[in-house]
Amino acid sequence: MTQREYTIRDIHLALDGEMPAEERADFEAWLEANPEMKAKNARFTDDARRLREVFAGVLKEPAPERLTEMVTEGPPRIARSWLAGRQSAVAAAVIFAAGIAGGYFAGSSGLRMQAEAENELAEKAIGAYVTYAVDRGHTVEVGGTDKPYLEGWLSKRTGLKLVAPDLANEGFELLGGRLLPGAESPAALLVYKDQAGNQISIYMVAEGEKKTRGTYTEKAGGPTAIYWLDKDYGCAIVGSLPQERLTEVAKSAWKQLVAAGAAS
Amino acid sequence: MDEKKTAILAEIPRLRRYARALLRDKDAADDLVQDSLERALTRLDNWRTGENPRRWLFTIMHHLFVDQMRKVSRRGGNATVPVEAAENLPSAATQQDSFAVRDILDALEAISPERRAAIMMVAVEGFSYAEAANILGIPAGTLMSRIARGREELRGLLDDAARRRTFRIVER
Repeated sequence: MTQREYTIRDIHLALDGEMPAEERADFEAWLEANPEMKAKNARFTDDARRLREVFAGVLKEPAPERLTEMVTEGPPRIARSWLAGRQSAVAAAVIFAAGIAGGYFAGSSGLRMQAEAENELAEKAIGAYVTYAVDRGHTVEVGGTDKPYLEGWLSKRTGLKLVAPDLANEGFELLGGRLLPGAESPAALLVYKDQAGNQISIYMVAEGEKKTRGTYTEKAGGPTAIYWLDKDYGCAIVGSLPQERLTEVAKSAWKQLVAAGAAS
Repeated sequence: MDEKKTAILAEIPRLRRYARALLRDKDAADDLVQDSLERALTRLDNWRTGENPRRWLFTIMHHLFVDQMRKVSRRGGNATVPVEAAENLPSAATQQDSFAVRDILDALEAISPERRAAIMMVAVEGFSYAEAANILGIPAGTLMSRIARGREELRGLLDDAARRRTFRIVER
């Protein structure tokens, strides 16, 4: 029997079931004769087993409804009237733009899917922040002192169940809000300020295609947007605050918006 | 429900598993699956009846994943990070994971997405080299070298992790 010269390549072939059965015995003999290769083979085999084990659990998880519904009920209609089916929806999109120097935001696990709709939303919100929130003289149209009036006005114009979250615990006070033009319906902008003079803004609009969430920074050092979108509404938050603080503010705001929407 | 939809539903667990390996973050992974299903449903005619939908669905998902990575790399350091990942690292689930599991996940995340995809395709999803190369749209030789290099890299990272852990134990 002439044993062909095996290489490390064959270890992968054997491991992945690509080695012809008739070579198998020969290959095993080669491994026995090469302790170094045998050890490598053992490690790769073990790694493959560990990989399978780590992900085995996912197969047993029940599939989220949003995935099964996608199949059973079909893809969402492309054209959707902006108010259709969103009576219980909270807010279309809420975006916080926070204005503190320093773009402390390094993309860590940045393999996030980014659809154009989200980018557009985040860019608009950052644009609104850059235009209005930083304009100290003319930040808002309606002040935050009469909160019910502000909420009522913005809700009526945007078609959203809009509330101005109380961010006092996070150190931010409501300055007020304004109405902005949007693609399908007007958007609302709420502006907050903390004692250090940092401003953040919440941008909300009655647009949204699919459920998604993420963080978006237009350019290094610029404000960051943390956003949420859902089928018929969304919510996102933006800022150049340190990531942790911005996330904290965003979470608090989002909770309040959800609570307000659910309560109706 | 028609036959095609039933067959697609049956593939969801595998699609989720592969997406989780690619993206780690659970929500981001499910978003990728959702986008893949959505695209698949708009192109049902591309799928011949009687054929197993697995390869077809994985191909769709792979294309979406590649698009997504391109967008991320175009954006450079300002890549998007899922809120979930940003706020709970390590996530609750991760905390419960054993060191061994976390080491694997960390190592997998550290290698290039191309190598990660190649390894997962054959080692976990069980595709043949020919099938995996076809799904990933690369020659079989490229697939093989990604698998070989990826495995070496993965092993190196796991060795490093084990060493660090040993040091920690010794230091105590």
